[in-house]
Formats: sequence, structure tokens, C-alpha cells
Amino acid sequence: MWGVYLVGIIAVLAAVGVVAARQPVHSAISLILNILALALLYLMLSAEFLAAAQVIVYAGAIMVLFLFVVTLLTAGKEEQEAPEILSGQRWWAGGLSVAIGLVLVLILAQTPSSGLGPAGPVGTLNALGAALWGRGFPYLLAVAMMLLTAALGVLVLNRPERPSRSSEPGSER
Amino acid sequence: MIAFVILIVKVLLLIAILMGGFAYTMLLERRLLGFFQLRLGPNRVGPGGLLQPIADAIKMMLKEDLMPASADPVVYRLAPVISAFAALAVDAVIPFGAPIHVFGLTVDLDIANPSIGLLIAFAFSSLGVYGIVLGGWASQNKYSLLGGIRATAQIISYELAMGLSAMGVLMLAHTANLEQIVLAQRREGWFWLPQIVPLLVFFITMIAETNRTPFDLPEAESELVAGYHTEYSGMRFALYYVAEYINLITVSGLWVTLFFGGWLGPGFLPPILWFFIKVGIVVFLFIWIRATLPRFRYDKLMSFGWKVLLPVSFLYLLGTAAFVSGVL
Repeated sequence: MWGVYLVGIIAVLAAVGVVAARQPVHSAISLILNILALALLYLMLSAEFLAAAQVIVYAGAIMVLFLFVVTLLTAGKEEQEAPEILSGQRWWAGGLSVAIGLVLVLILAQTPSSGLGPAGPVGTLNALGAALWGRGFPYLLAVAMMLLTAALGVLVLNRPERPSRSSEPGSER
Repeated sequence: MIAFVILIVKVLLLIAILMGGFAYTMLLERRLLGFFQLRLGPNRVGPGGLLQPIADAIKMMLKEDLMPASADPVVYRLAPVISAFAALAVDAVIPFGAPIHVFGLTVDLDIANPSIGLLIAFAFSSLGVYGIVLGGWASQNKYSLLGGIRATAQIISYELAMGLSAMGVLMLAHTANLEQIVLAQRREGWFWLPQIVPLLVFFITMIAETNRTPFDLPEAESELVAGYHTEYSGMRFALYYVAEYINLITVSGLWVTLFFGGWLGPGFLPPILWFFIKVGIVVFLFIWIRATLPRFRYDKLMSFGWKVLLPVSFLYLLGTAAFVSGVL
């Protein structure tokens, strides 16, 4: 049981580090630590495949791309604070996050927990595969379509603007 | 209690084997490169140069540990450790041999045997890139940074094809457990023949993942001095080397396990020796390729990864899926 608390504390501290760090790369490292701690929690809940997928997808791919961009942007730059556009947004953000945390704690306190994780091999590759490709297939399909739409949308929004035919010299030929 | 002791002994043994493997793989590479290039290579320290790794280790430990003044101290120190850790951790799930019986105990020759061993291996190996990109960034040197960024793009691109080419084996064996994959190959024959295309794709991506020639753009010495480890010296530099060579041994072990029956082999040699012999042959192939091929150009590397390896492995995966599910 103490393992869960230990990993939970690491996860929360790392999450605080993401917003508290001044240097974007340090934020990214904290986020990676947070992702790894979450994977450990999944492992303790006997969701083995989810833990591995969490590390492969989030830590192994998405955060690497984050770092790719962040290292490029911050290379050799001095640390300086950009002027705030919304005045007092930090106070609002802090107050709201404390309020949300209180609500979560209240809900947790009212919900009785029944041991750690469900019994049986629910988190294995076979069980998750059966759930995703069997009963939950429409949802999987919906998520896949949504991601595909997002990817196509990015491609469409970022395509180079086609020069209009009338303004282009020599296009009458 | 006894299981815990056995586990500790196994972990220590594995690290010792890997470190010894690292030292002598490096020596082997230097000697073989010498022969390939019609020179002798290091042959002065000890008989035939066999004590060269020890001399190198002492040299590395005694060297001054430098850090650039503008470097980020924490990340700079952390990066090589991440690289070495990720390289060592993958080996925990690779089965080195059939379970052996000592003093009435059955000992599995792997540290852990999770049901998703293959995915655990991919998870740890995907963390290795952080050592490179963070080291390159923390050095605050443009060549290091360029090396780190090249490594990121390259490893992300080739990881996809690597994962896809391993999926076919997973389907044929009906499991992601590496020991079960080896046992499935004892029943159904080694997977190299039915998976001949993924085998080649996996081999190419292995070279790219370990940043070796012809995919050594992250440390291309003709353009980037030494890439991401330009600023490192002493033991931290040595840690990057440890990570590189242990990665080499690890991916060779993974390849052998997936496609060439792991520790299976005729009965006149013990299984663990068969495993080491197969890994040794793959390591020799790696060195041979390094001595033979020139470096890729970066845009060709990218288009090769995305436009050739990825579609090919995806199509073969679809074919395998159709075959396994009985559609074909």
C-alpha cells in the first residue's frame, strides 16, 4: 500500500514541477517523470498493457516530439518572463485549481474504495484487446475517426495558399 | 527469501555479463575495423590486445570531468545516466536460455518474465533517446544540440517501423511474452522464413535505433564534431559508450529472440551458448556493415524511413494478419 502513496506523491510533485519550472525543458522532464509515475500506478492496478502503452506512446513518442520542439525554441536563449496579457490570471488559476482539488478530495472521501484493482487478468493484452475490438469497437472506431479528422484538419489548415488564377501573371497561356 | 536472493544474483550477473560484453564488443569492433581497413587495430595491451578495455576503463576514470560553464548542471549530469539505464533495463525481459536446474531449484534465465515482455522492451528502449536529446540540449553547444535533435527525429521515425515489423511475430506466436515466443518457434519453426520482410526491416531499424553507421548522423564526426556527446569527457562520456554498445547487444538479442529462435538450437550445446553464438553473429554483422557502408544523407534517411520501411512493414503486417486470422 505504501508503494501507491510513494508513487502518488512522486506523480503529484512532478505535476507541480511541470508548472513551477522556469525552464521549458525542465517542465518537459517533470512531465516525463509524471507519465512514468502514472505508468507505475497502472502497473500496480494490474493494468500491465496500459502501463506499457503509456510509456511507449506518451513517454516514448509524444514527449520526445515535445522535447524536439522545446529544445529548438529555447536553445541559447536567456530566461525571461513574457509580459502577462491577462492580468491576475495566475491568482485565478491557483484559486480554481485549489477549488477543483478540494472537490476531488470530497468525492474521494465519499466513495468507498474496495481494495486495489479488480481481480483477474483484466489488464492483460488479451483482455484489453477483447474489450477494445469486441464490445468497445464502435468507440475505438469513433476515436480513430476523430484523430484522423484532426490530422486531416491540420494538413488542410497548413497547406500553402494556392495563388488565385487571375492575379498570377502568365497564367493565361 | 531464496527467490529474492536468486533475483539479486541474476541482476548482478546480468549487469556483469553486459558490462563484459560491452568491453569486449568494443575491442572486437576496433580489431575487426582494423582488419577491414587493412591495419592491425589495438594489439599492444596484453596478449592480442585483450587487456585494452581495462586500460581504456582506467583512462576514462582518471580523466578530468569537464562541464561547459553555460551547461544546465542537473540535466547535463542526468542525461548519460538515462542512456545507460534504458540500455541496461531492456535486457531484463530477454530470456538468455532455457530454465536451468541447480541444487533442486529451477532458475529462469531472465530477470522478469511479464506477459507483455516485448512491449516492456520497447517501452524501455524508447526512453533511451532522452539521454541523447537531453545531453545535446544541456551542453549548450550548437553541434551537440543538432546531434540531439537529429537523434530525436531519426529514432521516432524508425521506432514506428520497428514496432510494426515486430507485430507479425506477435501475431504468429499469439503472445507478447518473449519466452512464449521462443517456445512457439520450437513448435512451428523459426519465424525468420514466414517473416522474412519484417526481419530485414527490423534489422535496418535496429541499426538506426542504435545510431550506428550508416545511420550515425547524431554523431556525424565530419559535420558535428561528435554530435550530442561533444562536450562530455571522462566517465560521463564512457556512460554514453556503455549505452551504445549495450544497446547493440540488446537489439541483437531481441532480433535473435523474435526471428531466430532465441536460445533454441541442436542439443550438443547448452541453450545459453546458442543464444550467445547467435548474438555474436549479429554483432559481427553490425561491425561489418559499419566498415562497409557510408553515412546516409539526412533527407534520404527520413524518406527511406517514412516512405519505404513504414509502408512495407505495414503491408506485410496486414498480410500476416489476414494469414493468421484465416482470411487468406
